[in-house]
Amino acid sequence: MTTIEGIAASPGTCIAPAVVLVNDQIDLPSGPVGQRDLEVASLEESLEAAAQELEHHSSESSGELAEVLEAQAMMARDPELLEAARKAIQDDGTPAPTAIVNAAETFAEALAASESEYMAARATDVRDVAKRIARKLLGSPEVDLAHLQRPSVVVARDVSPADVARLDFEVVKGFVTEEGSRTSHTAIVARSFGVPAVVAAAGVVAAVDEGVVVGVDGDAGVVHVDPDDAIIEELESRSERRARAQQELASADVAHSHTSDGYEVELAANVGSLKELESALQMGARAVGLLRTELVFFERTEAPTVEEHTELLMAMASLLDGGRLVVRTFDFGADKPMPFLRVEGSSDSALGVRGIRLARAQPELLEAQLRAVATVADSGASIAVMAPMVATIEEVDWFVDRARECGVVDAGAELGVMVEIPSAVFLAAELAARLDFLSLGTNDLAQYLHAADRREGSLAALQDPFGPALLRAVGAVCRAAGGRAWVGVCGEAAADPAWALTAMGLGVTELSMGAGSLADVHAAIGGTTIENCRTVAQRVILAEDASAARSIARELVA
Amino acid sequence: MPERDVTLNNEVGLHARPAAVFSKAAAGFTSSVTVTKSGAEANAKSVLSVLKLDVQKGDTVTIRAEGPDEEQALTDLVSLVEKL
Repeated sequence: MTTIEGIAASPGTCIAPAVVLVNDQIDLPSGPVGQRDLEVASLEESLEAAAQELEHHSSESSGELAEVLEAQAMMARDPELLEAARKAIQDDGTPAPTAIVNAAETFAEALAASESEYMAARATDVRDVAKRIARKLLGSPEVDLAHLQRPSVVVARDVSPADVARLDFEVVKGFVTEEGSRTSHTAIVARSFGVPAVVAAAGVVAAVDEGVVVGVDGDAGVVHVDPDDAIIEELESRSERRARAQQELASADVAHSHTSDGYEVELAANVGSLKELESALQMGARAVGLLRTELVFFERTEAPTVEEHTELLMAMASLLDGGRLVVRTFDFGADKPMPFLRVEGSSDSALGVRGIRLARAQPELLEAQLRAVATVADSGASIAVMAPMVATIEEVDWFVDRARECGVVDAGAELGVMVEIPSAVFLAAELAARLDFLSLGTNDLAQYLHAADRREGSLAALQDPFGPALLRAVGAVCRAAGGRAWVGVCGEAAADPAWALTAMGLGVTELSMGAGSLADVHAAIGGTTIENCRTVAQRVILAEDASAARSIARELVA
Repeated sequence: MPERDVTLNNEVGLHARPAAVFSKAAAGFTSSVTVTKSGAEANAKSVLSVLKLDVQKGDTVTIRAEGPDEEQALTDLVSLVEKL
């Protein structure tokens, strides 16, 4: 047996035989080919077929994955890519698979030369598309991920978005990739479907043979190749414990978890589409603590209408069947520009015109959302609406006025704001007096507290949810709210059981997270008392650095 | 062949979604459409070529159209870029 360490990308554990994907090895023919016109025709056919497949996968996906697939479909239809390949076939007799891979490589190199991470990702996309087409032309068998027959762990260098979209999560029990990060496609999809994953596991493809039993520990970020009985037993018992917690959560009537001394906490899921909500429900979610509305309408060129907002929220409310739906109004930033935004940009995306600032510049976008919330609340559903990126009391007053005008208050929906800008932490008492709830967005709050761009990998330590300043901010908001408004957390931090219990000890009563983490957090809550959380939390927030805070908080889940 | 200069005022220039939206719109016209930035010319209907131009916020590009619907193409695409 061998143990390979990587990055824990999606929690949980599993044991199953490996399916090793070696998609990136293609033997390209050198030619020259005889019938060049036929070669061009078959290339055109394969490009169109690939574009249609990618579009189909895109329509069945959501959020970032859908966007990448859509971009890849456009690349497959790109006239200049085809022209470059066609020229190589006609002029030199280059075989079509080789021509398309070479043409893509020329574009990829030009894109990769730019220093932006975005362009580098597009370089990977165009290479990925060309390989896909080359395999089609060569008739080389792709590993048919959609038709895996038995439970498997997928082991690969990386999994392309198109492959991820085809996976059947009934049989894919876990993922291990040699490349990638916590934010790669594989990791995002694994988390949203609740499948354990380890990424950046160096050497794993070479170390694992097809069919060998692999244990994936998505909590610790460790891969066990051909594990011994002791490890199998440990991973199995953890996976059973998790399944039990998930089942318990799924069969519960309400979205509440209780500590062993009966203190009640609401657990909810973060979602960005109807499809994601459906899968969250299967993982035990009964409420949504953060609906990222901007992700739902990401594909749009025109602003969604009141009717469209209403239709979406009604569908979600009916799936939730009484569970609370917290709608966050549009949080478009300069990193997610939309054709229907008319706002003049500013120099820094994270510090620019976004969130409620954008809503004030284009109030009709917000009003359409508020009217939809009012209609859904009128129908008797449990719904709440919150504004992102609030910095001043005046902004909150403006938001409350708009909500009142749109009938949200009369209809009985709850009103809140995100607390993610440090100024809002200091104003929490005033905000709580005006609102029903405050929801802490820990990712952005950490970024703004530390003046550290969250996309900057070298500053990742400043995003640590156990950072003392962040924990003290959570404590300060709960104290200032003083029970007048409930306080929730809807950042990644809530997904860590030790962090979640610490937040409860500080006064947080709602925890919203990627649905894959609900079972772990639910189990941890049931295993402790609120008194214990409070006592330990007081010690955690006195810690002077993140690692000290983390090790104290871990006592709560031991 | 009609042409117009237009300056990109949005945050990300002709990258990410704006590039995709622009190329998709250009592909809807029969006319051939090009975008030129400091002498480098790209086929507007090719998202890869548009990305390669690396058009940033504040850059001025020239859009040219040639064909049966050239006037319409130019008007629509310029107004699209201004709205990005």
